[in-house]
Amino acid sequence: MSHAALLQTHQISKAFGPVVANEKVDFEVQPAQIHALLGENGAGKSTLMKIICGLQQPDSGQVYWKGQQCTISSPKVARAMGIGMVHQHFALFEGLSVTENIAFSIDGAVQGRTLEDQIIDLAERYGLMVEPRRPVFELSAGERQRIEILRALLLNPELLILDEPTSVLTPQEADQLFDTVRKLAANGHGIVFISHKLKEVKALCDYATVLRGGRVVGSFDPREQSTESIAELMLGSRNISTERQHRNIGEKRLQVRNLSITDHDQALHVKQMDVHAGEIFGVAGIAGNGQEVFYAGLSGEQTTTDNNAITINGTQAGSLGPNERRVLGAMFVPEERLGHAAVPQLDLLDNVLLSNISNTEATSKGFVNRRYLSAQVEKITKLFDVKHAGNKTAARNLSGGNLQKFVVGREITKQPSILIINQPTWGVDAVSAMRIRETLMQLAGTGSAIIVISQDLDELLEISDQLAVLHQGTLSPARAVQDWNIEQLGLAMTGSTSGAAA
Amino acid sequence: MIHLELRQNSNWWTSLRSITLALLITAAFSIAVLFLMSDKPADAIWQMLTFPWQGRRMEVQFGLVLQQAAYLAVIAIGLSVGYRANIWNIGAEGQFAFGSIGAYAAYLLIGSPDAAWAFPVLLLAGIIGGCLWALIPAFLRVTCNTNELLTSLMLVYVASHLLTYLCIGPLKGDPKAGQAETYPIADSVQASKLISGTELHTGLIVLLVAFVILAAILLFTLLGYRLKVAQHTPRAERFAGFSPNNTVWLSFAISGAMAGLAGAVYLTAETGKLIQAENYLENFGFAAIIIAFLGRLHPLGILLAALMISYVNVGASYIQASLQVDDSVAELIEVVALFAFLGCAVLDQYKVKFKRTTVRAAT
Repeated sequence: MSHAALLQTHQISKAFGPVVANEKVDFEVQPAQIHALLGENGAGKSTLMKIICGLQQPDSGQVYWKGQQCTISSPKVARAMGIGMVHQHFALFEGLSVTENIAFSIDGAVQGRTLEDQIIDLAERYGLMVEPRRPVFELSAGERQRIEILRALLLNPELLILDEPTSVLTPQEADQLFDTVRKLAANGHGIVFISHKLKEVKALCDYATVLRGGRVVGSFDPREQSTESIAELMLGSRNISTERQHRNIGEKRLQVRNLSITDHDQALHVKQMDVHAGEIFGVAGIAGNGQEVFYAGLSGEQTTTDNNAITINGTQAGSLGPNERRVLGAMFVPEERLGHAAVPQLDLLDNVLLSNISNTEATSKGFVNRRYLSAQVEKITKLFDVKHAGNKTAARNLSGGNLQKFVVGREITKQPSILIINQPTWGVDAVSAMRIRETLMQLAGTGSAIIVISQDLDELLEISDQLAVLHQGTLSPARAVQDWNIEQLGLAMTGSTSGAAA
Repeated sequence: MIHLELRQNSNWWTSLRSITLALLITAAFSIAVLFLMSDKPADAIWQMLTFPWQGRRMEVQFGLVLQQAAYLAVIAIGLSVGYRANIWNIGAEGQFAFGSIGAYAAYLLIGSPDAAWAFPVLLLAGIIGGCLWALIPAFLRVTCNTNELLTSLMLVYVASHLLTYLCIGPLKGDPKAGQAETYPIADSVQASKLISGTELHTGLIVLLVAFVILAAILLFTLLGYRLKVAQHTPRAERFAGFSPNNTVWLSFAISGAMAGLAGAVYLTAETGKLIQAENYLENFGFAAIIIAFLGRLHPLGILLAALMISYVNVGASYIQASLQVDDSVAELIEVVALFAFLGCAVLDQYKVKFKRTTVRAAT
């Protein structure tokens, strides 16, 4: 190499059991460079950053810092070297002031001048306006992020990693952040900017590296590439198979019209969505784009006053709760297995009851039919090959894959007319995942209407008939899977079009 | 270093072991305290354990124990409903006072205290009184997201001042009485004695029936299940279609109703009139919180804990009379029992491991 890069990784590999997170990754950041790191969920971005920050050690490969080979054995070492990171999720004490929060994290590094002066100084230099004495609970997300950035800057880092920094910001706050980032780069700091939003990347970054499946699939100047080609590079050239099992598509089971709800500060807008008997309707999207509120809206965990917004099997159901929707034939599998789909401390019998409160076979007049529940546990564990140590096993003692088969099986054995399932195979071993996908296709074959929300695009392309994309809480119009191409999907998922692709 | 390791399966045997350990700790502490507080510790310990067979008639002593246990158990099982779902009503003392006030108000309103239905109407009024008072913190939590721990506790003081106000103001009875009190209620609406000479009366049967009904509901119906789900994870509660707000309303209503019933029975059976708060309220509402936890929020446990604690209480007043040992020893024992039981409950779910700490080297 002609000159020494600020940071360089050479042929870094890291595997977790059978899962390869990074494979021979070469990654290079120059001083004063704003370097975008792009990739889908699970492409290996986090692992690479954890290695650079000293949280994880590579299985093989080397890291060079200013041309010198080095071992980053812990986050402390990384900080001492001059590598700072601003995490996506803030770690701040709500009750403490800005200064107090910063003082906490920089143990003893500040000497001579008072911390407050130093904060004001840095803030002015980089346009990170904060009032040092305000308590954090009064601050907006953008202001909180500035504290995190100041915290990192006080340690004089030469390399600053920003992990999806705009995901919590308003567009105005994001613009301010970009100004700050540009000033930092102009002062010689190297910046790694992790993002899914290609528009931002093109506007801000002067270099980009794309990871896919743990490998580097491209490094280039993003300003010279089209958004389309970057999106395609991120998603890869997957073939959308046009051959699919033929299923008879029947009557309309679920209809959504102008559904607008908010749950835990996440907003959802679904203009139109129809799912028919025998159909698998895939909902793609990058994590954090409203999957949770979409699930909550369809399952009735969050209701709307507009009863017409959702129609289940011909009955208006917008204002109905989960159990009333279950009575109409809809069943639900939420994303989080422990703590949402199942109560960790309760046994399998009690966990079957969780989604059977309105099932007249399981309960009547407030009393519980334990014989029925026990038979259901038998049936589910047998049919879905759930390994467990008896009905009295607490749900938390089941492995991830087994518990997922259990919570999916719990709904499928009831032959749902509509099934809404969020991240069906997330964190599940490959065999169980395949089993779950097969089961969903069989269920559609018997005439159920199925909505699958997933971050795993391959999964959706494999099993869906219809596909729509969720971006920032808005669902795109649906199209048959064959009518999408990877480029359009990538654009929709990264928000590079405003639904104009329809 | 001491490590706690989650047990794969906890069962009745692990529970029994930790309860036994807690009892032993409590006993050891009680003995130590009696050694410090009495110049004849051996007598004090012996008399405290066997007081029903000392001196006065045995059934009188057991009557006292059962009487107190009944109030404590009924209030405690009501509180356990909320506690099972992490909803903290600690204002049973105020709900108890309001039960008494409700019953007395009903007595004043009904014209014919001799009618057969008068007594049940008083009890019903007590239930409603306690229930309404308990719904205030529920309302504040659901609408304003206030901490029910604080509001329910503060309403105890509001209720007790209100009780005193009624006794010195609008409902003031005999001015020559040595304390502020109302006129007594008619004999016809007072609970009648079951065994003469003892403190056992028909009101206690009412309390027992209420206890059994609520115990059955908790053990065998969906309500018990709903509380279990709510305790562990609010998100699963939503998944199951239970509204978390309704769980708050429900548990406050039930615990208030039980405390109110106890207050109504207390009025009709023990005092026959309202008296200024400091002479009327006997801290049942607060002691019941301890009972609920000693009994691990399980009906059977609550029953046993109520019997145990009232045995200790009656025993302590016995040795105060016979050996001049201050009966505050009972409160000490109660508190130590609470700590011992809560501490040992950890052993149900976790194994204690002693390990030498080793610093794991970074690879």
